[in-house]
Amino acid sequence: MSGIHHFVPVLHRGDAVGRHTLRLRDATRARGIRSDIYVDTVEAETAGETIPVLDYPGAAESGDVVVYQFATASAMAPWLAGRSETLVVNYHNITPPDLMAPWDNHLALGQLRAQGDLRLLAPRTTLAVADSAYNEAHLAGSGFAATAVIPPSAALDAAATAAARSARGPAARPAEDGARWLAVGRVSPNKALESTVAALAVARAHGDPGATLQIIGKPATESYVASLQRYVAELGLAGAVTFAGHASDASVAAAYGSADVLVVTSEHEGFCVPVVEAMSAGLPVVAFDQGAVPEVLGGAGVLVADKDPYALATSIRDLLADAPRRAALGEAARRRLAELDLDTAADRFVSLLVRLAPAAAAST
Amino acid sequence: MPAALPPTGDDTHADGEHNGGSPGVEDQARAARALREAFARLAPQGSDAWNFLAAFTHLGDRYGPYHPGASALSDALDAESRSGARRQGRLDRLRAGRDRQARTAEGDRTELEEAMGHVVEAFRFLSARVAALEARIAAQDRPVEGAAWLVPARELGDWVEPVAAHVLARTPGGEVVHADCGEGALLRTCAAGGATAHGVEPRGALALRALERGCSVTIAEASEYLSGRDADSLGGIVLSGVVDRLPLHALLPLLAQSRRTLAHDAPLVVVSEPGTAAGAREPVALDLVDGRPLHAATWELLLDRAGFVEVAPLPAGGRQDGRFVLVAATPS
Repeated sequence: MSGIHHFVPVLHRGDAVGRHTLRLRDATRARGIRSDIYVDTVEAETAGETIPVLDYPGAAESGDVVVYQFATASAMAPWLAGRSETLVVNYHNITPPDLMAPWDNHLALGQLRAQGDLRLLAPRTTLAVADSAYNEAHLAGSGFAATAVIPPSAALDAAATAAARSARGPAARPAEDGARWLAVGRVSPNKALESTVAALAVARAHGDPGATLQIIGKPATESYVASLQRYVAELGLAGAVTFAGHASDASVAAAYGSADVLVVTSEHEGFCVPVVEAMSAGLPVVAFDQGAVPEVLGGAGVLVADKDPYALATSIRDLLADAPRRAALGEAARRRLAELDLDTAADRFVSLLVRLAPAAAAST
Repeated sequence: MPAALPPTGDDTHADGEHNGGSPGVEDQARAARALREAFARLAPQGSDAWNFLAAFTHLGDRYGPYHPGASALSDALDAESRSGARRQGRLDRLRAGRDRQARTAEGDRTELEEAMGHVVEAFRFLSARVAALEARIAAQDRPVEGAAWLVPARELGDWVEPVAAHVLARTPGGEVVHADCGEGALLRTCAAGGATAHGVEPRGALALRALERGCSVTIAEASEYLSGRDADSLGGIVLSGVVDRLPLHALLPLLAQSRRTLAHDAPLVVVSEPGTAAGAREPVALDLVDGRPLHAATWELLLDRAGFVEVAPLPAGGRQDGRFVLVAATPS
């Protein structure tokens, strides 16, 4: 019996691609279609959910559709390109190597190779699905002929963000002892968290001496985190910036519930899941006008065109002082979330796959 | 358009000036640039350009599999590609297309890959050794990272005017550098006298205030800044604060850098305030800032050994709380 199977280099339960892959698998199975997750590296925490990729040839059936979760370089790319199954690439973007090179050449090299993998897969791929129109443009530039856009099913559970929204209340007010800024996501050079830190220094020097920043996320490379921590100390912010590291879903949701603003200063984003999580939690978003962030926000947040710490600090201060504007953005966020319709994203994705796998669908 | 930021919380500066409002557009732009540069300098690879490590790693990866040993699939791919008896498949053709320029002939590929693997491993070993040595040297010649920020800011004191007068009278032209410049009182005095003045200050919050008041400042240690300047390019250097908080093993390279970067006949000024320095330190700073203020006679010896001439006290610099100001010059 043929099926629709999902391939990802490694499956982490707590990251966006891992959560997305698990939900895709579940949505596929919910239609009665055989579906498994194959990985190159088996992680202990998800070992029960995955199968080593080298076991796939023995289980492969004629008519299978294989879906490759593409976010990094992996031996899976040439391996899948060399097989005969119908191939679908789910593209989550590649961080430009130049952003990584000053901090970690090996990471940069990986991104460079990922770019090569993408070009390698293009002629072999039946359909490429991008998280955003921004990512879709990358796919087109890499030679993919058939593309579609479906947002990732990667955000925190709706129940968690609903709890955060409830904790915030209908018109949350900034703390009087200083605004609480929040940054969520991998602590990686492309996130440009130094811009957030610099803006915090400016904000504390100009009218909000009690402002704080909490950074939640797993380090992508130690060199970047170490430099960020030193920068924080140099700017006299050691007591104002917290590096929380990787946090559980419950902790992240709690942070959305207690912060005053989500700050996104990324140089490069293919989607930016924390933006939709913050919108779900009723947390205002202030972001640089960069990458896919404007598209994902869809007008439901504050975009700062000038990547300048003064402009960012001023935008945050103005937003936090303007309750009607925050309320309006909250309404806009609800509308934008309805447009994105993340709750059905995995199912919509599977609907696309079923069209490519008539045999798998027919066998249900 | 968002409204302007309010002025800084403390509206009376250490140098007695009054802050009439929020920083101007040019000052903000300068401060923003300084903040960006302060972080960029911390990148371990040094620049956006790919360094040597990247170059040879990339070479190795062109000839090798995906991270040998990193995964079962990677090793399986490698084993398949090395198998001479195996018929060339679709994957091989795809990979051959990608690596075509790197190969001379299919028959030479395995041998070439093995040779390159050895070369790459050798370079990796050498790179690791160089990195270890660099880290050791850095620890010996540079101040303890983080220590400077623990030293509280303080007013520059009444030595600013006489020191500025000395520097302005003796400079042969070119940029005058002040480390640690604090909020920039000396920089503004020198600028008012017609000099191009640039500050170096590792305490970012303090540097930000100087930048917002129109000063040109780099957020860094003095040694970091001077190492990036051309030889014989500076019109004067004033070292204050930094001379009391750095250990001797960091002061010696700093003097050597000062000597290298100063133009002929350009003045060097050392302002030591041992009483203030010791009294202002908090216990945690005493733990990490292992500098011990030196006596004037010691400074005279160090300046002489570093190649400076005309080493002498600046009488107008005063001697409050044990403070002394020594001036020197580079030879003609």
